[in-house]
Amino acid sequence: MGDYIIWENLGNGTKLVMNQLHYAGLLFMILAYTVKIYQLLKKPAAAEGTPARGDHKKAIQYAFMTLAMPWEIESQKRHWYRYLEFALFHLAMAVGIGFAFIVPIIPEIMKNPIISIFAQIFFIFGFVIGISRLLRRIVIAEMRTISTPDDMFCLVLLFLWMLSGIFAAPLKSEFWLFSYYCMATFFLFYVPFSKISHYVYFPFIRYYVGKHFGHRGTFPKKNVNSQQLY
Amino acid sequence: MAKQSEKAASFNKNFKARTNRQHSLSFATCVHCGTCNDSCHYYLATGDPKMTPAAKMDKIRKIYKAQNDWLGKILPSWVGGGEIKSDNELEELKDIVFGSCTGCRRCTINCPFGVDTAILVGLARSCLVDEGVAPEGVLHVMKDQWEIGNQMGITPEEYIDTLEWIEEELQDELEDPEYKVPIDKKGADFVYVINPREIKYDPRPLQAAFKIFYIAGLNWTMGSVGWDNTNFGLFSGKADLGGHMGNLAYNHAKKLGVKQMVISECGHGLRSTKWEAPNWGKANPLPFEIISLLEVMVDLINSGKIILDPSRNQYPVTYHDPCNLSRSSGMTEEPRFCLKRSCIDFREMTPNRTDSYCCTGGGGAMSMTEYTPRRLEVAKLKADQIKETGAAICATACHNCVDGLSDLIKKYDLRYEYEDGKSKLVEVPNVCELVANAIVIPKEIRKTEKEIRDAVKGRTILVIDDEPDFVVFLQTLLEDSGFKVLKAGDGNTGLSIAKSKRPDLITLDISMPGKSGVQVYRELRSDDATGSIPVFIITGEVDFRQLMYQKTVQAPEGFLNKPIDKDLFLMTVNKILEKTIRNKHAN
Ligand code: SF4
Ligand code: SF4
Repeated sequence: MGDYIIWENLGNGTKLVMNQLHYAGLLFMILAYTVKIYQLLKKPAAAEGTPARGDHKKAIQYAFMTLAMPWEIESQKRHWYRYLEFALFHLAMAVGIGFAFIVPIIPEIMKNPIISIFAQIFFIFGFVIGISRLLRRIVIAEMRTISTPDDMFCLVLLFLWMLSGIFAAPLKSEFWLFSYYCMATFFLFYVPFSKISHYVYFPFIRYYVGKHFGHRGTFPKKNVNSQQLY
Repeated sequence: MAKQSEKAASFNKNFKARTNRQHSLSFATCVHCGTCNDSCHYYLATGDPKMTPAAKMDKIRKIYKAQNDWLGKILPSWVGGGEIKSDNELEELKDIVFGSCTGCRRCTINCPFGVDTAILVGLARSCLVDEGVAPEGVLHVMKDQWEIGNQMGITPEEYIDTLEWIEEELQDELEDPEYKVPIDKKGADFVYVINPREIKYDPRPLQAAFKIFYIAGLNWTMGSVGWDNTNFGLFSGKADLGGHMGNLAYNHAKKLGVKQMVISECGHGLRSTKWEAPNWGKANPLPFEIISLLEVMVDLINSGKIILDPSRNQYPVTYHDPCNLSRSSGMTEEPRFCLKRSCIDFREMTPNRTDSYCCTGGGGAMSMTEYTPRRLEVAKLKADQIKETGAAICATACHNCVDGLSDLIKKYDLRYEYEDGKSKLVEVPNVCELVANAIVIPKEIRKTEKEIRDAVKGRTILVIDDEPDFVVFLQTLLEDSGFKVLKAGDGNTGLSIAKSKRPDLITLDISMPGKSGVQVYRELRSDDATGSIPVFIITGEVDFRQLMYQKTVQAPEGFLNKPIDKDLFLMTVNKILEKTIRNKHAN
């Protein structure tokens, strides 16, 4: 059990990457996404002028809610462990992002052992799942066929980031903290160019999918008893 | 950078110009998670990693990445980007988007993002079609829709002839000599818009629908133009053709002043006429409502306008959900409602509704016969699903599905064992046929066997087929129905009998040793002595459809796949002969 890092004694490099560079990365990412969204919205959307059969609003809500309703998507129902893996992996990323932005402001928070162990548990999940996802992309032919260098690179970066998070979370090693922030900062600059951008598109695609299938009465999926139709 | 071929450059340019917001989202969002892998029947049946939805879509996505993705523009290989460079690559893309995806959208529903494979395939298809890189069958059907206004090149005379033939059949069946099929009736409540297959090859669903309308006392009409609900705008991705076909139907319906347009049981017909073509053809808002025959039947059953006796459909029935109805039109309960009331034993297939597997005949696949072997291979999945139900009848509400399912039932020899120990291939009717069969007709009197024999008595039919057992089977069927039968075991003998005896009808097998059926057919058509004798092709070769779609041969008067359905065979023989006699009288 080592001692906590004394914040004031952090090296200049660590301070730079945790603060100026990190925030510059954030600013860059926000700008890049603004441009990305502008470019997306500049493209015309397919128009829909026919009378609706279903309820758009309900369907759009449903389209967003399916993220938390794995039973509504056959493949997730069938491979429930993959859904669990997906959920834990994304929660680990959320914890990672939270850690990256909260620690420079209130580092004391990590001195609470419950919080630091909680963060470490998620970092472990992220690390293990990241490696298993990478292995799956390498070993399984179906996954290899659809994987690009960007897919692989993002996974390598993520599991390394999670690994550094495991050791950085207790705030006892400047080396790991420095590594963690270097990777976090690199992410902020790289993510807008990579497949990780999918989360920016998520609200848009789910909106359009919900609207389209809702318009036709396909969403929300039906579970009615056809004996009671009309 | 390697130079792009002229076609490739033009393809890339169109691709970029046509990529809209929804396409962009489906291209950009895919994270290659593989969740959709086991949604696709092509992958599930072959186990080929190149057949997963994401692997197939990456062949299109790479173009988007090269044109729009920031990293894709400078380092395409890093994100799997790359524009099309050569004509060969265009051919490879054709194989993917026409031959390896029916646009069924099962993967879309099963993707956590909703990546819409079907719209991406449509985009690629439209750009390929513009370069002339598409299955011949698709190009021919498109041409017929542009020039003749229906996908089977049916002439107005042929259309009216078939309607009149159905009219006569119903006059007998309904015991109403005054019964008329209304055409262009002003003041009708709805116009019935159909699939040309119902006119050309299988009028049973049409007859069933007309019977239902009659018994329910509906005020309706057929249109003399704009009656084709099918739309190769959907299968080719060409919105201009889609709009043209839609507008043909809409404009005629407007002229008739109807309140509704009712679409016969056709999955892509309903999807394109109700949902897509009004947008493509800028026809919104339409002054009438577009609904499916299924909805009409539900309404008639609910309101008591038709009374059903399910004991008339006593064998187990299952239902195949057509992709364009279940996933693209939200129509899953109406057919079940009808079937549960018209059949004693209804069994669900698993999975069903929005999770149903494609029949493998969707996306225009039936007109792309170069891909038939692959289609039938991947149909194993659907075949297993049907088999598991143990049903004698697999009803569906789509004409493409009827053809797709019939092919796979034959290929995988799906049979139902009847109590008498005899087994028969699973039948594939439309829902309306089962409803019509269950309808209680007041004072119902059916045509007697004797009447049928009298009506057809004495006509001569030449059977050309190299399978002796099949010849005997047809001979028995035909003679029992009052026909005279001539037989030929090979093409040359058949030709000489045709010339010397001039039969009223020729049934012709396609795969025969020596002179093939196609050759015989061509010679029959080109000889003055035999050119006007109607020919009914009965074949085990699904590839004959390719010749018809590609217009390599003139369409025969009748076409049926082996093994044949006895009722449909006799019905078609009657239809062809009666039509010929009527035409002779008219001349
Ligand atoms: S299409 Fe959807 S489910 Fe399939 S790999 Fe892409 S993101 Fe995953
Ligand atoms: S749309 Fe259907 S056929 Fe095409 S890839 Fe998806 S599941 Fe397969």
